[in-house]
Amino acid sequence: MNPAIEIESVHKRFGDKHAVDSLNLVVPRGALYGVIGPNGAGKSTSLRMILSILFPDSGSIRVLGHDSALKAKDRIGYLPEERGLYKKMKVGDFLVHMGILKGLKRADARARCQTWLERVGLPDVAKKRSEDLSKGMQQKIQFIAAVMHDPELLILDEPFSGLDPVNMRLLRDLIEAQHRAGTTILFSTHVMFQAEQMCDHIVMLHNGRKVLDDPLAAIRARSEVRSIRFEPLLADMPVAALLAEVPGVEAVVRSESGYRIELAEGVQLEPIVNAITAKVTPARLELVQPNLEDVFIQIVTGHPAAGATA
Amino acid sequence: MNTAKVMQVAWREFAATVMTKTFLFGLLIVPLIMGLMVLLLPLLINAKSSAIEGRIAVYDPTGAMFPSLSQELSRETLAERRREVSKRIDAVMPDAVKALTKNDQVTKEMDKALGEVPNLKLESIAGANALESARERLKLKKDDAQALLVVIEISADSITPLTQGGELGSYNLFEREGLESRFGQDVRNALKQVIVDARLRGRNLQADEIRKLMQVSAAKTEIVSRKGTQGKNEVARMLLPIGFMILILMAVMAGGQQLMTSTIEEKSSRVIEVLLAAVSPTELMAGKIIGQMAVGALMLAIYGGLMSVALVAFSLLGMVQWSALGYMLVFFVLSSLTIASLMAAIGAAVNEIREAQGLLTPVMLVLMLPMMFMGPIASDPNSTLATVLSFCPPVSPFIMMMRIGAPAPPPDWQIWIAILVNAIAAVMAVWLAGKVFRIGLLMNGKPPNLITLWRWVRMA
Repeated sequence: MNPAIEIESVHKRFGDKHAVDSLNLVVPRGALYGVIGPNGAGKSTSLRMILSILFPDSGSIRVLGHDSALKAKDRIGYLPEERGLYKKMKVGDFLVHMGILKGLKRADARARCQTWLERVGLPDVAKKRSEDLSKGMQQKIQFIAAVMHDPELLILDEPFSGLDPVNMRLLRDLIEAQHRAGTTILFSTHVMFQAEQMCDHIVMLHNGRKVLDDPLAAIRARSEVRSIRFEPLLADMPVAALLAEVPGVEAVVRSESGYRIELAEGVQLEPIVNAITAKVTPARLELVQPNLEDVFIQIVTGHPAAGATA
Repeated sequence: MNTAKVMQVAWREFAATVMTKTFLFGLLIVPLIMGLMVLLLPLLINAKSSAIEGRIAVYDPTGAMFPSLSQELSRETLAERRREVSKRIDAVMPDAVKALTKNDQVTKEMDKALGEVPNLKLESIAGANALESARERLKLKKDDAQALLVVIEISADSITPLTQGGELGSYNLFEREGLESRFGQDVRNALKQVIVDARLRGRNLQADEIRKLMQVSAAKTEIVSRKGTQGKNEVARMLLPIGFMILILMAVMAGGQQLMTSTIEEKSSRVIEVLLAAVSPTELMAGKIIGQMAVGALMLAIYGGLMSVALVAFSLLGMVQWSALGYMLVFFVLSSLTIASLMAAIGAAVNEIREAQGLLTPVMLVLMLPMMFMGPIASDPNSTLATVLSFCPPVSPFIMMMRIGAPAPPPDWQIWIAILVNAIAAVMAVWLAGKVFRIGLLMNGKPPNLITLWRWVRMA
């Protein structure tokens, strides 16, 4: 089966700014891909080009086997970053309208609208105007509009922005349910923690260029541990001074619960852990795995993130 | 293009516009105001002025005019003169309107109005200081028994020149402050008649006889054609083309402005991106234009229907050519397409209504032209101005409809050229607007100027 998305050498400029530069990407069917990067990295522009809302200056994009998303719009769901509803329109009418625009029959759209409203815990809002709903409720309605036609490909641009923890959890569950049902999901976020929690593959953009395109497990596997969290058994020792003597230790920083030991690049973990424990008996010793944010900073700056956390 | 999606967008656009209290209010308020004007205006005009009562001092050194002036300014004569004026107005009114004057209620209203003619007492003044003291009495309070409304000073030479071959004199009129101009006109008319009569009598001529000889009553004009003979009604013939023009202009503008507003709303509420993920910009624009054209067509049907009822009521339906209605539909579709496309482009280019003003002003100024030239074109529908403007989109449909509704419609070849020109203009407008629409919808920030819009057209 052909991939859900194939992007080849895509460029997009806005005036003097290179929004997307030489982007190549393949998203296989059924995958859950996260596109991460800071604000202005080119995430939304890339998603809009995939959807044929914007068009690349050069390069090609194939979506669900077509050379343009315009030919497969009814098979794609999209939740844009800047969400909107018709303020005066009733929720039920809006969802039916969007369902029909996504190729559903009116009766089918009506039935699905009610099912989905019940599923997200809003069974009684169909007759309410959008302007009468809270922001969280409005976001649920927008999510329904994106998924009610059972898309094969779901593109979500910053889906969690502005949501409280409860609704964030609900939306995450809904997205994961879509993924389990076989929908290919591509979502963007600048909050890397969310991507780390949900995605099985990460694409990282920086200044319009792709700087990372790997499975999350592979990223973790090759990420070098450059920091150790350490708590001594006995507090009345000159811990920092003793640890600093260990070869391969670059710095020892006092933290709230103990010390953070920064390691030199390329250091072997087993000998240095043995050397540290030989110098100071630990109450607790923990290898700090770099998170996506650390990986990103490392890629962008070429240096490990200071103060990497687990 | 997916027709089902286009029609769904069109339906939403139509429903969102029409099924609102604001639209219904706007739709009803125009005929309501017009109806109220037709019913109440004559009553208001007649009921406006209360009867003027008071004294007039006349300084008449000739001694020949005071009795005649008293007669001319009597209530009966003033009432008769007003009746004459009303008859002259009647003469140019359609027959059905004339029939109304035979109606008892209307006659009563007329009598009521005539009952409010001035009630004047004239006093003759003479002597060296009489004029000066009379003028002082103009300054007295209105309710003072000695107060005067007007002082008339007739020249001693108003009947016969003082010297052989000299000029004839006239009169001077002194009015108190705040007197109605209509009353002053009554006095001047009476004076004119009295002086002319006195001059004629002074030359041994029969004033009544001459006055009769001078009168030619208004002629009845009839149009004779193969269809038969029908009365010519100047007022209706002047108003009908204007009615056609206003009808189509209202329908087109209402839809166009709604289209701009709804596009701005979709853009500012960010719903536009959700829509663009479901339909292409072309489908979206096509749906919106069709929806708003349906709104315009609804208005056209309602107002056109009311206009037809009015024409039937006044037995003037015969003045309307059926072909004119066909042309009206064609020009409505073409002008709707052109104006709606321009409005869609403006709506897509800006972020809020306030920003639209800069781009909207030139369009509105151009669309004001038919209103500005309404009078000259209705009275001379085949003038060079009318002919040239009827080939210039976007005003062409409105001017052409005015010409088609006129008694002397333009030749068919001019109508077909206008249709062709407007069809080309509509295609170009849709093409250009489509490009601006596609780029503008996702643009935020500073509103574009015309140069930027042109750049977008070249980009898209």
